[in-house]
Amino acid sequence: MTGQLRAELLKQRSTQTTFFLFLAMVGLVALASALHVLAPSPSSLASLKHQLQVFEVGTRVGMLFAGLVGAMAITAEIRYGTIRPTFLVTPRRGPVIAAKLAVGALAGIVFGLLAEGLMAGATTAALSVRGIDNQLAGGDYLQLLAGGTAAAALWAMIGLGVGALARNQVATLVGLCAWMLLVENLLLPFIPDAGRFTPGAAGLALAGSIADKLLTPAPAALMLALYAAAAAAGGWLATLRRDVA
Amino acid sequence: MAEVEPSRSSEVVSCRALTKRYGELAAVDGVTFALEPGTVAGFLGPNGAGKTTTLRLLLGLAEPTAGEALVFGRRYRELEQPIRRIGAVLESSDFHPASRGRDHLRALALAAGLPLGRVEEVLALVELTDAAKRRVRTYSLGMRQRLGLAAALLGDPELLVLDEPANGLDPAGVRWLRTFLQAFATQGRTVLVASHLLAEVAQTVDRVLIIDHGRLLASGRLDELTRDGRTLEDVYLALTAGEVS
Repeated sequence: MTGQLRAELLKQRSTQTTFFLFLAMVGLVALASALHVLAPSPSSLASLKHQLQVFEVGTRVGMLFAGLVGAMAITAEIRYGTIRPTFLVTPRRGPVIAAKLAVGALAGIVFGLLAEGLMAGATTAALSVRGIDNQLAGGDYLQLLAGGTAAAALWAMIGLGVGALARNQVATLVGLCAWMLLVENLLLPFIPDAGRFTPGAAGLALAGSIADKLLTPAPAALMLALYAAAAAAGGWLATLRRDVA
Repeated sequence: MAEVEPSRSSEVVSCRALTKRYGELAAVDGVTFALEPGTVAGFLGPNGAGKTTTLRLLLGLAEPTAGEALVFGRRYRELEQPIRRIGAVLESSDFHPASRGRDHLRALALAAGLPLGRVEEVLALVELTDAAKRRVRTYSLGMRQRLGLAAALLGDPELLVLDEPANGLDPAGVRWLRTFLQAFATQGRTVLVASHLLAEVAQTVDRVLIIDHGRLLASGRLDELTRDGRTLEDVYLALTAGEVS
């Protein structure tokens, strides 16, 4: 199993994909922080709730990119055919998926931590530059970092499971982006009874968002863990059962 | 259908009534053959005849609908460390384009629990040491073929399974491959090579399997099939009715 983990880590490091996703995420966080803090009027950024809504953009970006990294780990192998030599080496396939889940979760932790850390740093600095009183306490920062990182790790496993089920790389990446950026953004305001149970909303709640209608952190963590377990189990079973082209 | 002899322990490959259906279509239809150690067997047939599907079934990438495909008397998925006994290349381009040649092999060696020094040995064997630090997207088709072969040789296997290994090789590369395969078989090892290149096959193999529409049409020693003065091409075209596919 150590060999499998090292193999998956090497794949993550050696193909540039992770690096380019990382760059894209950093750029997006910087842009989002600038837009959300520098554009609105000071009064609309005065309350804790409004400030948290800016900070939580980092959570969203971290979860999305962690999901993409997880999805790439399996769909790139299917797209480029490396899944064939991979399964020739490990024909029972289970250890491959297990190692991908572990390394994906690790990548999710790194992406989540960086997204939250960058967003928190940039937004804190921007608030200070504009002379707006920062309403976040130390505990808020801690929950943002810890909860957002955990949410990103779980989202990486969701991305991997969805990728293993869908197999098509473009469809998986587009699907994850559309889900996070469109479906979740529409569900929560318009059908909150469903929207609060989605994996993205659960991640926001886990990271300490106090937006209306969200779950509290503990049930949100459970909800998100269930999504990750279901996606991982679905991807695992599909990978073990299906033929490889 | 006649009773099939039970698998003999010396057989490296044995397919018995091997069948794979996709809905109505039988891609492989009751194929039975066996290979003894030290054989170089050519697996011939038009495009879509069932060659690659047979190899995928043999290598545990796909599950047969009926019958069985065994390597060293067992299903591929049941072998411990199959890469130490069987090396295979099914596609000439099963690489991540952004991966370096050496990293591609290292990931496989790590997953297989093989020492990384073995990667350098196979790189030298296929004469890719100088290109090993380049990304695969810069490789010619011939270099990709050799990198695939290097991956198949990582575990120092007793059986090589190759699908169209001469595609994209220049004349020197074709001769290199032929010499390599013959030397490989001289050591008592076995080769199963699917190919369209009848003239090349006639120079390399000592056994021929001809398949069309999923059915095995001929199986025997090359010198017996061509005993009456016919060339391999004559035999092949007569059996496959010379259809252009």
